[in-house]
Amino acid sequence: MSKILSIARVNLLRFLRDRSTVFFVFVLPIGIVMLIGAQFGGDFSPQLGVASGGGTVADDIVARLDAEESIKLVEYESEDELLIAVERGRLSAGVSVPAGMDEQLAAGSPASVGFISRPDGVGPQLQVVVSEAVAGAAEQIMATRFAVGKGADPSAAATAAAAVAPTIPDLNVETIVAGESLFPASLGRFDIGASSQLVLFMFLTGLTGSAALIQSRQLGMTTRMAGTPTSIRTILAGEALGRFVIVLVQGLYIMLATILIFQVNWGNPLGAAATLIAFSAVGAGAAMLFGSVFRNDQQAGGVAIVAGIGLAALGGSMLPVELFSDSLVRIARFAPHYWANEAFAELVRRDATVVDILPQLGVMFGFAVILMAIASWRMRQVITRV
Amino acid sequence: MTNSRVLEATGLKKSFGDIHAVRGVSFHISVGETYGLLGPNGAGKTTSISMVSGLLQRDGGEVLLDGQSMTTTSLGPKQDIGLVPQDLAIYPDLTARENLRFFGHLYSMPKAELVKRVDEVLEVVGLADRANDRASEYSGGMKRRLNIGIGLLHRPKLLVLDEPTVGVDPQSRNAILESVEHLSSEGMAVLYTTHYMEEAERLCTRVGIIDQGEIKAEGTRRELVELVGQQDRIRITATGVQESALDELRRLSGVHSVSPSDGSLELLVADAGAVLPEAMRVLGSQHAGVSSVSVEEPDLEAVFLHLTGKALRD
Ligand SMILES: Nc1ncnc2c1ncn2[C@@H]1O[C@H](COP(=O)(O)OP(=O)(O)O)[C@@H](O)[C@H]1O
Ligand SMILES: [Mg+2]
Repeated sequence: MSKILSIARVNLLRFLRDRSTVFFVFVLPIGIVMLIGAQFGGDFSPQLGVASGGGTVADDIVARLDAEESIKLVEYESEDELLIAVERGRLSAGVSVPAGMDEQLAAGSPASVGFISRPDGVGPQLQVVVSEAVAGAAEQIMATRFAVGKGADPSAAATAAAAVAPTIPDLNVETIVAGESLFPASLGRFDIGASSQLVLFMFLTGLTGSAALIQSRQLGMTTRMAGTPTSIRTILAGEALGRFVIVLVQGLYIMLATILIFQVNWGNPLGAAATLIAFSAVGAGAAMLFGSVFRNDQQAGGVAIVAGIGLAALGGSMLPVELFSDSLVRIARFAPHYWANEAFAELVRRDATVVDILPQLGVMFGFAVILMAIASWRMRQVITRV
Repeated sequence: MTNSRVLEATGLKKSFGDIHAVRGVSFHISVGETYGLLGPNGAGKTTSISMVSGLLQRDGGEVLLDGQSMTTTSLGPKQDIGLVPQDLAIYPDLTARENLRFFGHLYSMPKAELVKRVDEVLEVVGLADRANDRASEYSGGMKRRLNIGIGLLHRPKLLVLDEPTVGVDPQSRNAILESVEHLSSEGMAVLYTTHYMEEAERLCTRVGIIDQGEIKAEGTRRELVELVGQQDRIRITATGVQESALDELRRLSGVHSVSPSDGSLELLVADAGAVLPEAMRVLGSQHAGVSSVSVEEPDLEAVFLHLTGKALRD
C-alpha cells in the first residue's frame, strides 16, 4: 500500500511541478467560468425596472430598492412595458407593484408583487434583493399595525409581533419568467457554466495527464519500477491513484475557487463530493487508457485535447443537453460527461441528494471500471514487453 | 562454492521475431566479483541483463539469484538486484534526493535507514551538493551518476550496470569507474556490460566476450589472452648485447622468441611481469647497457578481433 502511495505521490508532485499545470489547470478553467458567467449574466451592475401602481406600501418598496447600491433602478409606466424591456434584455429583471395594494392589505387580504426575470442571467440574484425589500415593507406594515392596535411599547414589540403575525395579510413576490426558461430562476449566473466546465476540465486534465504516463514509460521509469520488488499490479494501482488524485485536485480546485470567487451553488455537498469522486475515477481511467495506448506523448496530447473537448461537447458541457434532440441525447449517454452533468444538474437545479443521483454515480463508476480494466490489460502487455 | 554464487545464469535465450538476440548465454558471478560482458552494440548485452533482472520474459534458460529463480513476477530475487539501465531512468522533474527516496520506498527501505542511505549514496556518486536540484538541471554525467545511485541505494547483492559510461565526459567516467571499484572492494558482486575493452580490463575479475547473442569466450584477461595465443611483447633498447646473452634470454622459461635488431631487442613472452626481472638480470650480468624498456600486453580488443574477426567498435 505504501508503495502505491509513493507512486501516486510522485505523480502528483510531477503534475504540480509542470509549468503548464499552473495555466491549464489553475488559471484557464476559472477564466472560462468567468467568461461564461459574464455571457449568461450580462453586465455587472444590473438594471432593475419598476412599474408601480402607487400607494404607501408601493412607495416603500420602491424606496427600499432605490437604496440598494448594487442595482440601477429604472421606472416604467406599465407592467407591459416592463415585461417587454425584460424580454428584450434591456433590463436584467423587473418588479411590478400592482395598484390598490394598500387597500388590499388593509382589508386583510394577501397581495403580491410581481418579479419578472429572464430565464438565465442575474435575475435570481435580483430576486433575492427584491424579496428582501418586500419583506422589509411587510415588516413596516406589521409595525404600523402593532403601533395602532397595541400601543407603541417597543419592549413588547417582539412578543406582540408574534401574536399578531397570523392576522397580517401575506405580502409576497410572485415570479414571472419572460421568455422560455432553460433553468429555474434560482440558478446563479455562474452555476451552469461552473459545473459543465468542471466536468470538461477534470476529464481534460486526466487525458492530457496521460502524457506524463507515457513519458514515464519513455523515460524507462515504468520498466525500472518493474525491476524493483514491486508487482505490476502495484505499479498500475499507484499510477492510477496518482491520476485519480490529479483529476480530483482539478475538480476540487474549480469547485472551491468558484464557490469563493463566484459564490457558485454546487448543491448538496455530499452529492457534489460523490460526483467529484466518481468523475475523478472516470478521468483517471481515461488517463490510464491513453497512457497505455499511445506511444508518444505529443500524439497522446493532441488526441487528448480533441477527445476531451469532443466528449465534453457531446456530454453537454458546451451546450446543455436540454437543447439536444432526442437522438443526440441517446448518443450523449456514451460520453461520461453526460452523467456527471446530469448529476450536477440534479444537485444544483433540483436540490437532489446523493441518493437521487445514485444512478448517475453508478454509470460513472461503471465507465471508470471499464476504462481501468482495458488500460491495465494493455499496460501490463506494454510493460512486460519492454 | 554454490552459496558464494550470487548469480547463476544458464542457457539464456531470447528472440524478437526473427532476431535471435540471445542464444544460450551462461555465466555466473560470485560474491565480490565483477563480471564483465564485453561486446559491440547489438551483441545481446542488454537483452541478457534484462532477463537476469527479471524485466524480460526469457524464451529459455534459468536465472538463479542467490539460489532463487528469477522471473518477471518474482519479487524476492528483485530485492537482491540493483539494476542500472543503459538508458537513463530518472525523473527529470524530481531532485536527486527525491528520485532516490522514491526508489528507496519501492525497495521497502525503512524510513530512518533510507534517509541515512540517501545521503551516503549522494556522497558516493558525488551529487551531495546538488541533491536538491532537479535532475533536469544536471549535466549528462551527473544524470548518469544519479542513475547509478538509484541502483546501489538498497545495497543489492548484485549490482547490474548496463554500459554506464556511454556518452559521459572523461571526468564523470572516471568517477563512475572508481565507484564501481569501491563497491566491488566492499564485496558487492557486479555485472558490468560495456563495449569499451579498457573498462572491462580495469574493472572486471572475469570477462565474457559476447557477440551475436553468444558468449564466445570467458575468463580472466590473462586467460582470454592465452586462449587465443596472444603474447606480451617486451622491447628493450640496449648496447653491447652479446650472442651469449641472447642465448641465455631464449633459455628463460616463458620466453617464446628473442629477436635482436640494431640497438634493440624484442621478446615475445607469455607473461611480461614474470619475465622482465629475469631478463634484466641476464642483461645486467652480461654487461649490456639498457637504456629503455617497454612492455606491450595484448588487450581484449585483440582477443575480440581474433575471436570474431571484427573490431569492438565500428
Ligand atoms: N524489444 C526488441 N525488439 C526487437 N529487437 C530487439 C529488442 N531489443 C533488442 N533487440 C535486438 O536484439 C539484439 C540485441 O540487442 P541488445 O541486447 O540491446 O544489444 P546490446 O545491449 O548488446 O547493444 C539487437 O539486434 C537488437 O536490435
Ligand atoms: Mg545495450
